Amino acid sequence: MKLGKMSLYLGVDVGSVSTNLVVINGESEVVDKLYLRTSGQPINALRTGMKMLSSKFGQNTVIRGVGTTGSGRQLASVIIGADIVKNEITTHAVAAQMLVPDVKTILEIGGQDSKIIILKNGVVYDFAMNTVCAAGTGSFLDRQAARLEIAIEDFGAYALKSNSPVRIAGRCAVFAESDMIHKQQTGHSTEDIINGLCEALVRNYINNLAKGKDLEDTIVFQGGVAANVGIVAAFERALGKKIIIPKYYDVMGAYGAALIAKEKIEKSSQGSNFYGFGAAENEYKARSIECNDCSNLCEVIEITSNNEVLARWGDRCGKWSSVVKKDKEIVG
Amino acid sequence: MSKKVGIPRALFYYNYFPLWNTFFEELGAEIVVSRNTTKKTIDEGSKSCVDEACLPIKVFYGHVIELKDKVDFLLIPRFTSVSRGEYICPKFGGLPDMIRNTITGLPEIIDVDVDLWKNGSNPLISAFEVGGYFTNERRKIRKAYRKAIESFTEYRSEVKKGVLPEDILSKKLRLIKKIDEPRLNIALIGHSYNVYDNYVNMDMVNKLKNNGVNILTIDMVSSKVIKEKVKNLSKKMFWNYGTRAIGSTMHFLDKKDIDGIIYLMSFGCGIDSFVSDLIERRVRRKKELPFIVLTIDEHSGEAGMDTRIEAFIDMIRWRKKGENNISAYG
Repeated sequence: MKLGKMSLYLGVDVGSVSTNLVVINGESEVVDKLYLRTSGQPINALRTGMKMLSSKFGQNTVIRGVGTTGSGRQLASVIIGADIVKNEITTHAVAAQMLVPDVKTILEIGGQDSKIIILKNGVVYDFAMNTVCAAGTGSFLDRQAARLEIAIEDFGAYALKSNSPVRIAGRCAVFAESDMIHKQQTGHSTEDIINGLCEALVRNYINNLAKGKDLEDTIVFQGGVAANVGIVAAFERALGKKIIIPKYYDVMGAYGAALIAKEKIEKSSQGSNFYGFGAAENEYKARSIECNDCSNLCEVIEITSNNEVLARWGDRCGKWSSVVKKDKEIVG
Repeated sequence: MSKKVGIPRALFYYNYFPLWNTFFEELGAEIVVSRNTTKKTIDEGSKSCVDEACLPIKVFYGHVIELKDKVDFLLIPRFTSVSRGEYICPKFGGLPDMIRNTITGLPEIIDVDVDLWKNGSNPLISAFEVGGYFTNERRKIRKAYRKAIESFTEYRSEVKKGVLPEDILSKKLRLIKKIDEPRLNIALIGHSYNVYDNYVNMDMVNKLKNNGVNILTIDMVSSKVIKEKVKNLSKKMFWNYGTRAIGSTMHFLDKKDIDGIIYLMSFGCGIDSFVSDLIERRVRRKKELPFIVLTIDEHSGEAGMDTRIEAFIDMIRWRKKGENNISAYG
């Protein structure tokens, strides 16, 4: 790809299952996107992503602003130097509005979280996230696909081939799994069981998250699970409405983070905090320390690079994190 | 040597400590309060408590364990009702027995009955019973009770002015981070022992304060206002907490300067499961006010809670800016 010395913005979403990077230009268009598996090692995933982007854009571009989001947003911000650190609700809403301006309802199912966001007059009006457990999220589907020895990419297509759906308990992942095993033993086809699972997940989502909310058109479905055609079909059946899958459905969080970073930088006269693509080349070490100074026994996380402490968090009293707090405050 | 009374820093400590403290002081007892809840409190509490109990009860257990070898008495009143015609959570009524049957090596437990359900019931009777552990002089107990009510009234009126109980009880003023955004007023509805125990609620109060939020709680609304508000309900609430939670929510809904309502709920709490739903319906019917239910349990990972709090505050600020036609979420 041939690019001039372009001004670009980077958005990074470090999630439980995937780490996504999105590069946008001054017109808010996506120039490049990466969807990488976190595989429980967010720092490695981030480095891989940064290297890939560096070899592509390295010399010819200037990254003018960086935003991070996802459950690993703080970690990512420390490693690459972010201008904004934003929660996933806000970034998902911003990205959806950019791609589908008249969106009213956002369904989002990721690796560990599921969310519903309701917009009115162009602002977030209401939202809900799954409560205590992660039943019915992407990581559960992943696990079931692996158990049935079906590639997760093909999972949804199986559901579409079903003739008669089987009812699977969807309220709890453990119940769902034992229910699926029972249905397998009694001879139901894999297609029907997978379709039953898709319906169970959607039923659970609607009961749990959408309870008491009006799901008005236009409805957008995003997050990694939106790739699953079986779930999409189950949603359309349950809601009786058409569902739009935005073009960059799997990296919407990162896209939103890039958009917010861009807005912030354009408004302020400050430069970016970005450490450069090279920053990811450094060795980063994360270690956890159990502080024994009081009976809270906080699990403090410490990020170091070349023996220099970059950040610490996880302490209740602030004694560990305040040591490395620089002039730059990290706010949500 | 004066007798030592242990008061667990849990459950109704947050409602009644000033009352208990003055009462025992007047009787010449030494008061020992357990320290703030820590991870250890919860660990030890959940080890000795039945699994099905809610987090606040487990926390109470942890505080009892911390105190039991340090005191001559433990104050664990058997609360059945704290207001006419209304009950409270049945676990309070069973608490002294639960503790006795699961923890060994306990000091004597002061498990006075507090039941104000019936007309004509008088808390002074309970006070005489408790006072009897320390003195035979009825006059002295009567005086201690009067003083205790005085300091309780003073405490309540401070809270009604908008001071958080936790700030009064811990007698320290916290440094609050200055932010540029306009301050928000958010009502935080929940049981006192969840709202004011900063370990249990994952430091929610300070997180909100640091995001430029003034917090309003049930205890800041006078019982007169609450009584007035709940008159409109089709049916009387069964629980004292339910009445106060719904009444104060109705009051907050009528106020013009409230920017949002957070319902803090304990996982597995029967009362919360009803009350949170009743409140949610009422809020959504009445007004387009940002509302969220946050659930706490034994999780120690704070990321989920932080995301929800941040997103909630973002939503409120974004909505406010939307009203003024300024686009920004950053």
